[in-house]
Amino acid sequence: MNTPAPGGDAMTRKDLAARQAALLETLLTDAPAPSGFDPARLRIEADVLLTKRRKLVAYLRPDLPEALGERFRPLFDAYAAEHPKAVTVRAREYADTFAAWLVSRGDLPKPRWFRRRKR
Amino acid sequence: MTIPDPAAKTGAAAQPGPAAQADTATQTSSATEAHAAPRPGATPRTEETAAVTPAVPDAAPGTRTAGTRLGIGIGWRAELDLSIARMPGVDWVEVVAENLHAPHLPESLLALREKGMPVLPHAVSLSLGGAEPLDTARVEHLAGLARALDAPLVSDHVCFVRAGGLDSGHLMPLPRTREALDVLVANVRLAQSIVDVPFALENIAALLEWPENELTEEQFLTELTERTGCLLIIDVANLYANARNVRTDPAAFLDGIPWERLAYVHMAGGVERDGVYHDTHAHPVLPQVLDLLAELRRRTDPPGVLLERDDDYPTDTELATELAALRATVER
Repeated sequence: MNTPAPGGDAMTRKDLAARQAALLETLLTDAPAPSGFDPARLRIEADVLLTKRRKLVAYLRPDLPEALGERFRPLFDAYAAEHPKAVTVRAREYADTFAAWLVSRGDLPKPRWFRRRKR
Repeated sequence: MTIPDPAAKTGAAAQPGPAAQADTATQTSSATEAHAAPRPGATPRTEETAAVTPAVPDAAPGTRTAGTRLGIGIGWRAELDLSIARMPGVDWVEVVAENLHAPHLPESLLALREKGMPVLPHAVSLSLGGAEPLDTARVEHLAGLARALDAPLVSDHVCFVRAGGLDSGHLMPLPRTREALDVLVANVRLAQSIVDVPFALENIAALLEWPENELTEEQFLTELTERTGCLLIIDVANLYANARNVRTDPAAFLDGIPWERLAYVHMAGGVERDGVYHDTHAHPVLPQVLDLLAELRRRTDPPGVLLERDDDYPTDTELATELAALRATVER
């Protein structure tokens, strides 16, 4: 098994960086799939990554799933599709930004601590 | 990775992926001099280096192990810390490097070190297969943790987790091409120059395949060890996952791995969903995965075998039974 793929031009490090970035963009946003990948597998992988991130946010901010109940999942998934996690954003910060997004949309009431922090 | 129900007890702290770095370490301790902890003494045999040493006499002819003799271990998770402390049959533990900080190690972990139990840091966020420049601060964090724990080796995965400014939050497969191998080798060499102990690399469970693949996984891992001198962690559950999901031939894989470079073996549970095997670390180890461990044992005597459980934690008795099954498979 694992038959080597025939032919193909050699990849440079730059090409590899671009291919890796394109793959992550597809998996984490709605960007079109890079060539050659099985679309069904891309969907499965994207779902796994989304689930993992959702669980991490729920772990870091247990108040959010508690407050939202069954709405937590669809709301997080909608948020995540438009806000893939950037490397510069820490996990805690990502979870807090999701919370602020919920408040801005009226999905969560403005908590007192949040009002205080606002100028 | 996958996981069932958002309301279930989460294991995010457990295998949190790169995203959780620094965020999930909540336990602190006043003990900062972990260096003073005694060398591991309770385990069958410890050795300082990756020097190749003879395997036990009943191993396959010509087989050698890569050094430190570990025995049967379990992935240390904050949720399991009390269980691990009282559970029989735990010779060593592995910790997720990104969840810990050398100056603030959890008391329960320091207690294990004081008992002489080896604690090996395992990183998930170095992105050693990433084509972008290596984030050496992450490697330095790992090196510092290894010093604090007096660990005989450190590890991460054959994967990438960052590209184009995005963070996947989980281990992504590499294209098995010459160029990707060159990148991985360069990054591993740089990482090796930063840590003071041998470095081991683990095979991951892939859900998708790169169309560019030129080498088999065993060829890729073999060349990686030849070119960097690194050790290998062979995750048998990942091998099973890849056999199910991306057509890896498990027999060819087991025949092609340079066993003299084996640091230790990972075992974990998973579940099949819609024709895809998910390496969840949240289910019991499948009998088929134990069978693969037995196949591995026919080829080498692994220096260590570690059970990873990250979610839906079972009772201590169930965990101890799983550990005993691992021991029964490799100790004969």
